[in-house]
Amino acid sequence: MYDVCIIGSGAGGSPIAYELSKAGFKVVVLEKGENYTEDDFNKDELAVSRRDMFTPPLNEQKHIINEYKEDGSFTRYDGEKAGWNFWNGSLVGGSSNLMSGYFHRLKPNDFKLKSVYGEVEGANVVDWAISYEDLEPYYTKVEKVIGVSGSVIKHKHQEPRSTADFPYPELQTNGVTRWFDKACDALGYASMPTPRAVLSQDALGRNGCYYSNFCGSYGCASGAKGSARAALLQKCSAKIVTDAFVYKLNSDKDRITKAYYYTKLGFAHSIEAKIFVLSAQAIESSRLLLNSKNRFFPNGLANSSGELGKNLIFSAGGSGTGRFIFENLTKEQQEELMQVGVFFNRSLQDWYDYEDDGKKYKGGTIDFLFEHQNIISRVLRESYDDNGNLLWGEALANKVHKRLTTSRVLTFEVFNDWLPTDKCFVGVDETVKDKYGVPVGVINLYGHPQDLKVGEHLAKKAVKVLKKMGAVEVDYSISSSPPPNLVAGGCRFGKNPKTSVLDKNCKAHDLQNLYVTDASFMPTGGSVPYTWTIYANSFRVAEIIKKELKI
Amino acid sequence: MITHLSSRRNFLKAGFLSSAVFVMSGCELFSITTPQDTIKVLQNDLFPKAKELGISTTSYMSIILHHSRVSDEDKRFIKNGVKWLNEEAVKMYKTNYVKLLSTQREKVLKSIVQTQWGESFMYNMNSYLFEAMLGDPIYGSNNKEAGWNWLEFKGGEPRPKEMYL
Repeated sequence: MYDVCIIGSGAGGSPIAYELSKAGFKVVVLEKGENYTEDDFNKDELAVSRRDMFTPPLNEQKHIINEYKEDGSFTRYDGEKAGWNFWNGSLVGGSSNLMSGYFHRLKPNDFKLKSVYGEVEGANVVDWAISYEDLEPYYTKVEKVIGVSGSVIKHKHQEPRSTADFPYPELQTNGVTRWFDKACDALGYASMPTPRAVLSQDALGRNGCYYSNFCGSYGCASGAKGSARAALLQKCSAKIVTDAFVYKLNSDKDRITKAYYYTKLGFAHSIEAKIFVLSAQAIESSRLLLNSKNRFFPNGLANSSGELGKNLIFSAGGSGTGRFIFENLTKEQQEELMQVGVFFNRSLQDWYDYEDDGKKYKGGTIDFLFEHQNIISRVLRESYDDNGNLLWGEALANKVHKRLTTSRVLTFEVFNDWLPTDKCFVGVDETVKDKYGVPVGVINLYGHPQDLKVGEHLAKKAVKVLKKMGAVEVDYSISSSPPPNLVAGGCRFGKNPKTSVLDKNCKAHDLQNLYVTDASFMPTGGSVPYTWTIYANSFRVAEIIKKELKI
Repeated sequence: MITHLSSRRNFLKAGFLSSAVFVMSGCELFSITTPQDTIKVLQNDLFPKAKELGISTTSYMSIILHHSRVSDEDKRFIKNGVKWLNEEAVKMYKTNYVKLLSTQREKVLKSIVQTQWGESFMYNMNSYLFEAMLGDPIYGSNNKEAGWNWLEFKGGEPRPKEMYL
């Protein structure tokens, strides 16, 4: 029997595999996808971005999506027919292999949203069961073990740190960042280098970044990116079983007894362990628990509260763009603009909270980055003329050539809280099954109106910066469209077993040996990408499990 | 699952690019053509720059039509698009698309782009064409990186050692 069985090998599960196996415990990790190493990764746009090689085909595995309106009515979408894909990366290390690694910590107020900002009508805002101070040592640990590069600058929302600066220096940046810094100075905004989970130099037995120009969406061929695979799983003795889709957990009234999984060919296996850790990413973790209902837990495992799957959240916000064109630039500036490979790496957090009409709002983060270098996508974005007519022939060739060789797009991404509501939750569909014959997850979606209001506020600030820099065609879109790679909630942690699924240690209130350590535990999401917090929390829970096993 | 596999196999067995497309004029069978002939002329009409650069994009369609990650629905749409394009040519000029003068073909394209299917079909054809022209040369079309060089683009390293099919 294993000491620990971990379901899912991404950022939520891997710190536990790493810590527990290093402490001498027998650990097994079950991963639905395949294993890749640095040698396997390449920059094939057709495979990675056009044919989605790292996610399951939607005709085999999909979701049902119910999009809610404010009045409670909803439109149902079949993920396959609508081409609506919520998968993020089925491979050892999960989607952390494919992240851009924009790493921001949550801030102290993110842990007490209700106390600081008050109730929001129509939203289920609560304080966290732990504080920033509880998690701070683990944020620091992630900086060192996963490897975070950057430099700390003073600004009004800088969170407290136990160390003065990041352990690894900033990555190299494009000269256009100087234009950005100058524009921010003029506007009175605090430009900050974006911390990245990318090593700027050889360290931790991994190679430093080689500036491939293709970071986000692609696996890292040097090991510089702090994926759960490169930073943790490849460095520990935990056993990894690939091609293992866990479809059911068995339990008695107190404990999980077995995890059952299928291989691609449909063979069923089971594994026994003293402790089970679930980290299959938020939607799939709730789905597995709901699909594992039994006579002790007729509404789904660990669901005596009825809260399982509830309060699903994403990152709210949206994105915007501005274009720099050669006609407005000196020769030197043109060369600077077209320098590829190096990063942009600039963020603004001036409005992490702000006042509007005398009311205090939780705001968010704006990250700036160059448009992704995927050439096919960039060319296809030029398919239409200014009036929305499809182009072809010489007109298309001329437009494509001019746009791609004499201009470049700077983009921004807004991250603000996706308020948890009753209309945003995970269920399962008893009639629609995946290729394994298992009921698929149902994603019920609703964006609270305040999410859009805050997103607009932030986007308008970003627009000011782009215009000040001299960009043209500045535009943005803030919407309730959920980013599939920024998902959390569904197994809230909390002190009260009647209103939460997990306790403050991320152990199920109902079961003595079940932990959930992906982003499912988060009752509110903060206004930053989640990965750093998932890693940090998982390192925290690893300490707790270690103590439990040593007793 | 079994039905799905079976339909997919039958579909592929048909040898899509050289299979017959029955072009109808009203309820009458007008002529028979192949997707390969039509796609070759159509892609050149949509983006003649590729040929100027020494890039042939038609052979890439064979990869798409056999690709494990392109849905049967998308593959069927290519075949239907070829059929409907020819039917529009017959309707307008009483002959197949490939037999028209370039000015006539342009008028056919201007006609179908006004329809929902026509715009989607032309956009999809452009997408496959750009995939061929700007995908990694290992897929066989981006000849000596001519597509990349035209746009002053350098492919990311490391490059793939084999095609993903």
